[in-house]
Amino acid sequence: MKYFFIPLTILLFACSDNKTVKVKGSDTEVNLAVQLAESFHRYKPSLFISVSGGGSGLGIASLLNGNADIANASRRINEKEMALFREKGIVLDSFIFAQDAIAFIVADDLPLASISTRQLADLLSGKVRNWEPIAGKRLPVNIYGRQSNSGTHDFVKNRLHISFSPAAKQMNGNAQILEAIRADHSGIGYVGAGYVIHGVTKGIKVLPVYTTDRNAAVSPLDAAKIAEGAYFFQRPLFQYFRAKDSLQVRPFIAFEKSPEGQKIINVGGYYPAKK
Amino acid sequence: MGIRKRERIDWLMKLVFKSTGLLTIALLAGIFFMLLYNSMSFFFDVPPIDFFTGSQWDPDNSKNAYSILPLLVSTGLVALGSMMIAVPLGILSAAFLSELAPGKLQAVLKPVIEMLAAIPSVAIGFLGITLVGPGIARIFGIENGLNALNGSILLAVMSLPTIITISEDAIHAIPKSYREASLALGANQWQTLYRVVIPAAYPGLIAAVLLGLGRALGETMTVLMATGNTAEMPSGFLDSIRTITATIAIEMGEVPYRTTHYFALFAIAAVLFLITLLINLVGEYAANRLRKFQA
Repeated sequence: MKYFFIPLTILLFACSDNKTVKVKGSDTEVNLAVQLAESFHRYKPSLFISVSGGGSGLGIASLLNGNADIANASRRINEKEMALFREKGIVLDSFIFAQDAIAFIVADDLPLASISTRQLADLLSGKVRNWEPIAGKRLPVNIYGRQSNSGTHDFVKNRLHISFSPAAKQMNGNAQILEAIRADHSGIGYVGAGYVIHGVTKGIKVLPVYTTDRNAAVSPLDAAKIAEGAYFFQRPLFQYFRAKDSLQVRPFIAFEKSPEGQKIINVGGYYPAKK
Repeated sequence: MGIRKRERIDWLMKLVFKSTGLLTIALLAGIFFMLLYNSMSFFFDVPPIDFFTGSQWDPDNSKNAYSILPLLVSTGLVALGSMMIAVPLGILSAAFLSELAPGKLQAVLKPVIEMLAAIPSVAIGFLGITLVGPGIARIFGIENGLNALNGSILLAVMSLPTIITISEDAIHAIPKSYREASLALGANQWQTLYRVVIPAAYPGLIAAVLLGLGRALGETMTVLMATGNTAEMPSGFLDSIRTITATIAIEMGEVPYRTTHYFALFAIAAVLFLITLLINLVGEYAANRLRKFQA
């Protein structure tokens, strides 16, 4: 019952001001969107941008029921959601504003320099439950992942064609995963690269990933390789909006595309969208 | 005021009071039937026997992995653990508060304990991640502290104010003559407390424990943050768990509308509802019985 008030307050705030563009969705994109919104506000103080997270699915659902003007999504909108929009007669427009890379992190004292996609699939699906065959150290594997309402969760799952091990812990967000890996010497987790580039990275290690050739392992922190599209776990970050609102949201999106916006994206640990 | 007017007001007031009373029953029945109705749709798709006997809750990846068992065990484990900590702690502090504490200390302690109930569950969950979790990991020499024990400790903290406040009232309500009689027969203060006062307060203490248990069973945010949320069957207090409430909170936001998975969440909610209902009924029965025994 006590959670009942939260949507109510949001609703009240939503009604009070119609010069606000509400951005909702992916937790991966929330930091970046906040930075973009802050700089944009300095650049054009008359338009307010409010940014909140909650997951890609939530963002798209909010766009559908009118609680958001822009939905951040770290995955492409799926058929089911598309059908709901069609049912309501809403035409969607989208735009890719950055490239995100998923970093796989372990504690820095784990004797492992890089990891293959096959090893990752074995670990995350729960087929291999000990680090011994992979890192040569007898330790049970602890998986730290996201909850099933996270776009990152879906992305990793679909990219590796696995279903996650039932022993995988489901954490609330990227920061919690980092915190957990730092404390846990046997942990493996996945977070957006933005979180490891500018966050405190003491005690953790980002693993370069390869598919077949160990020497060709690519780190998610390597901007040049990301620009080539060579990293296995990279993905475009989408922003969806209602086509009829394009006048209202256009200034913000134009700002994101501008050199200034692209610079913020770079500094934020993401990579500019591939042209 | 004419007699007719008075009677009319009287009649109106009776109606108002009756309807407010009945409204509560209607709400309870409404919630129950809503849960039951949606659960029915689930049980058309998945036979109840699979629901209660399987060992895997994993609707995202498998079509038939709808077993409540790991969730039920998780919920039971964390609630049991929290009661093992909170019941002795709560009842003993209540006894101390009402029987032994000097007046000044009592005047400070009571409001402070009640303030404990005002801490939001998110803040307690945060404490579990940053403080209790690493502490447990260090003490037990394991790699991480996001497990049932962590959840139990946090839930114990959250149910303590309920247990202490109600127990204290129950102990306080024991007539002074009981204590005087006991002391007059030569029992010392300690013997009076645990042989006379606490047994006499049993009905109230049971109510306190059951209300605390209800809080522990229904709490969502704290366990969601601090217990790791693994859908695997737990084998002990040092395993990560995922409770019924956390499962509903995590999956309700994303589940496609009116699918088997959606109805499955209603089914587990209905099971949780029945458990809390049963606990309340048992508590009521026990309390009434013991009360008769005393009189």
